[in-house]
Amino acid sequence: MPVAQFDYIAPTTVHEAVAALVKGGRDTRVMAGGTDLIVKIRHRMLFPKCIVNLKRIAGLDAITVDKKNGLAIGATTLLADVANHKGICRHYPTVAEAAGATANVQVRNMGTVVGNLCNASPSADNAPTLMAMAATMDIAGPTGSRSVLLDQFFQGPGISALQVGEIVTAVRVPPPVAGSGTAYHSLSQRGKLDCSAVGVGTMVVLNGDRCTDARIIVGACAPVPMRTQAAEKMLIGKKMTDTLIRQAAQKASEETSPITDVRASAPYRWKMVSVLTIRALTDARKMALRKQ
Amino acid sequence: MNAHSIIGKDIPRTDGRAKATGQAIYADDIKLPGMLYGKLLRSPLPHARIVSIDTSQAAAMPGVRCVITGQDIPRVTYGNWRLFPGTQDEYALAMDKVRFIGDEVAAVAAVDRETAEAAIEQIIVEYEELPGVFDVVSSLAKGAPVVHDTSPTNISIDRKIAYGDIEAGFAASDYVREDTFTVHAVSHAYMEPCACVAQSDLDGRITLWTSTQTPYIVQCLLASTLNMRENDIRVIKPAVGGGFGGKMELRPWEFCSAFMARETGRPVKFTLTREEELAFGRRRHPMTIRSKVGFKNDGTLVAKDLHIYLDGGAYNAMGPTATFLSGNFGAMLYRYPNYRYLGEHVYTNKPPASAMRGFGAPQTLFAAETQMNMAAEELGIDPIQIRLKNAMVSGDELPGVATISSCGFVESLKEVRRISGWSRKRKNLKTGRGVGIGCYSFISGGVFNWFNTQYPFSAAEVRAFDDGTVHLLTMASDIGQGSDTVLKQILAETLGLKMEDIRLTAADTAMTPQADLGTWGSRVTLMAGNAVIDAAKKIKERLAGAVSARFNLNVIFDIEFADGRVYAAGKPDRGMTFGEAVAFVQKTQRGEPLLARGSYTPRGKGLVSPAFSFGAQVAEVAVDTDTGQIQVEKMWTAHDCGKVLNPMAVEGQLEGSVQMGLGYALTEQFVMDGGKTLNTTFLDYKMPNAADMPPGESVCIDTFEPEGPMGAKEAGEGLASPTAPAIAEAVFHATGYRCKDLPITPEKVLKGLGKL
Repeated sequence: MPVAQFDYIAPTTVHEAVAALVKGGRDTRVMAGGTDLIVKIRHRMLFPKCIVNLKRIAGLDAITVDKKNGLAIGATTLLADVANHKGICRHYPTVAEAAGATANVQVRNMGTVVGNLCNASPSADNAPTLMAMAATMDIAGPTGSRSVLLDQFFQGPGISALQVGEIVTAVRVPPPVAGSGTAYHSLSQRGKLDCSAVGVGTMVVLNGDRCTDARIIVGACAPVPMRTQAAEKMLIGKKMTDTLIRQAAQKASEETSPITDVRASAPYRWKMVSVLTIRALTDARKMALRKQ
Repeated sequence: MNAHSIIGKDIPRTDGRAKATGQAIYADDIKLPGMLYGKLLRSPLPHARIVSIDTSQAAAMPGVRCVITGQDIPRVTYGNWRLFPGTQDEYALAMDKVRFIGDEVAAVAAVDRETAEAAIEQIIVEYEELPGVFDVVSSLAKGAPVVHDTSPTNISIDRKIAYGDIEAGFAASDYVREDTFTVHAVSHAYMEPCACVAQSDLDGRITLWTSTQTPYIVQCLLASTLNMRENDIRVIKPAVGGGFGGKMELRPWEFCSAFMARETGRPVKFTLTREEELAFGRRRHPMTIRSKVGFKNDGTLVAKDLHIYLDGGAYNAMGPTATFLSGNFGAMLYRYPNYRYLGEHVYTNKPPASAMRGFGAPQTLFAAETQMNMAAEELGIDPIQIRLKNAMVSGDELPGVATISSCGFVESLKEVRRISGWSRKRKNLKTGRGVGIGCYSFISGGVFNWFNTQYPFSAAEVRAFDDGTVHLLTMASDIGQGSDTVLKQILAETLGLKMEDIRLTAADTAMTPQADLGTWGSRVTLMAGNAVIDAAKKIKERLAGAVSARFNLNVIFDIEFADGRVYAAGKPDRGMTFGEAVAFVQKTQRGEPLLARGSYTPRGKGLVSPAFSFGAQVAEVAVDTDTGQIQVEKMWTAHDCGKVLNPMAVEGQLEGSVQMGLGYALTEQFVMDGGKTLNTTFLDYKMPNAADMPPGESVCIDTFEPEGPMGAKEAGEGLASPTAPAIAEAVFHATGYRCKDLPITPEKVLKGLGKL
């Protein structure tokens, strides 16, 4: 069992990083915080020949909060910086909360929001909220830049829409719609510092007490963080009552396909999707009403 | 009695700074010239016959210096119960059969770790897979696969206790209940995975630095398995990052490093990975506990009939002791006039269970304390009241087994009731909140000499110097619990010196006095502490004689030892410094240094322990009845550990116990698929961490244990027991869900509430 041997490069521009990835092909991996990548290498789940560290690329760790263009979180922005950013806490509080609920202090001080997404784990704590808020990924590649809805980004456990040679440079969140509210609720076995066994992110838009838009995203209960569209449809156009929330949560639970693993059983996860969806929708409704 | 100047004070750990700054040397830090790196090949199957092993490819790899299998080593079994050789059921490397996933099959020593790891993968083993047994029920079934031919029923050892008349007791009871409890395996999860380095000198003698709780036991068993003499083996314990019972036996890597060091003439190091520790390491015994108790209507206990199956895994390890002790823990805390116990240790094809903080008590007391709470509920008596009614007191006897020489249990119950606001909280909490109580009693070291040592149980040597310092030599093993600090405190206090006047050499079998059975069963403070006092008293006699002679004192004078001086009581001017007194003695013996040996072996103390500690703990929980998640809001503890030698150290033990108890109660468990452990990292083995710790409050009950050094007894192990039953009762109080099978997971809570 030879210890992993690999080349390591730290380019200073996105262009150089893309060039290195094109040259190295599938055996070359991108690293930001390394909190997932290095662990996987040490556990012999990955055998990269080359690692491309993005941290030397100037500006890639930027956070921009803009009334018109929304929020942009750079590829190397730390989870801790997102969790504590004043502008994010004020205008996108659930994005900050989800970042702050990821793993533990040490991981948040090294790991990144974009890395958490690119790892494409179904239990990624940052995915449900960002998906609920219709976030998009800025992708740079050999043929130029493109943008992909986060909704379309996850393709399976550990599999994303990224092609060979591509890197995510930022995740963008559109400015919150008037009358919108968001919430994220997650559950783990241990308590405060743990990976989530179930997570639910929601966004609702209210006009008066009528729901005009809703998104419910469930983490760790399907191969990817998944939208529960049937549940969303039940809410849209209706008065958002407690009863309706409970019904929608039940529907959301039915739409997921959790498995039994070392962290929780499938029946428990099903039940928790319903419980957490009720809580997340109730909290999102509260925020939406407050913001009206 | 004199006020103490060092005992009873918050003395920081003497090794704290070195550990915090990374200067402490652990086994894996040791690097010797020419050192080789070892790696073990482990069985991928839970039960199989070894048909053949081909090591030729591995041995031919560049950088590989040695490859060994069971065929290369002496065919000698080992095990800690040396008094009963029939219980010694392990070979360092599997001979004919493997019995659990992880059983050690072969070992490689190579020039670096990577080569050793690569070579392990080139060893080809052909197995003939056998059916396995993975729990007590299937292991005991008729026609079940036999794990060891020497135990055709798969029961390797049993233990019976009986006194009073059990049938008459139940007949005289107004209220009888019988319950079955099941408890699970958990990991010691010590911070430092096992590691060792062995070196063979030119005469073929072995020096082994190893992360162990029991250097003397490792020395003896290494000698017998290598067919060498005990004195040709030197075992040195460097700094050790925790043990909790998981490092108290000879282990295969210790044997393999010594054997391969002798074969190659080069030092050999083994360091286990966390994954190896979690997947294959020792663990706490799962048990199936059937308990029948009889009460009078007023809550008076009349009889108890206890039957326990211990799921021992593939080898005995320390299982016999756990089997032995569980019966005693079942009889502790309360007066059971009629008592019967049968404990049976059952082999299964899983990693062996062994000693772990509490040594049978956390399991037995979870059952006993939960059952007590259930009985209190049904009899309509407050749980603390029913305990007060039956609580043991000083002088109580377990017939033929033990005498309780000091007992602060009643005081502990009353204090914990007071500080927790129990009476108010039991009545007035909101739905989803609850308080519960659990109690413990624990031993201060074992009496039963299963290792069959020919030496005192603990020993100490004190050498005094004319510069006013002393050197304490002891085989007592500090594995993180702080015994080095406490032994220095005891010696400094006894001789009237300061902490910095004491130099300590510990746990080196070639240099420190024979012998010490090691760190387990909370024996070190009491036994090694008594040995230190014994040696110090002999030194004091000599120094007192010197002062008496120098000042021509009347023989009736007492001699005081304080502030670095030795003087006639009440006449401080008739005396000299400690160093001057040492010089005086040394002159009288023509240059021979002043030294003394002391020892301690419990005698006339029954079969179990020279002293017992007691305590009570209250937990308050908030239960989310939709998710089943349990938040422990606060823990209150009142406990009797005799005279508190170092409050700071006792507090540290308490907090560590709560952390372990929390994991045992709520989140820690091995997820098994047959014989395979699925959660082998801390990501999925859910040990509580700092953020999960509840706040706590505690009171130490002031008692004096006549058998203990300066009145002290056990302080850090018994406390691993009350947390789980206290939390379980609090959850019942909060929700009405009664847990009889640990851990109390959210899923079980929801199922218990009919919501899943």
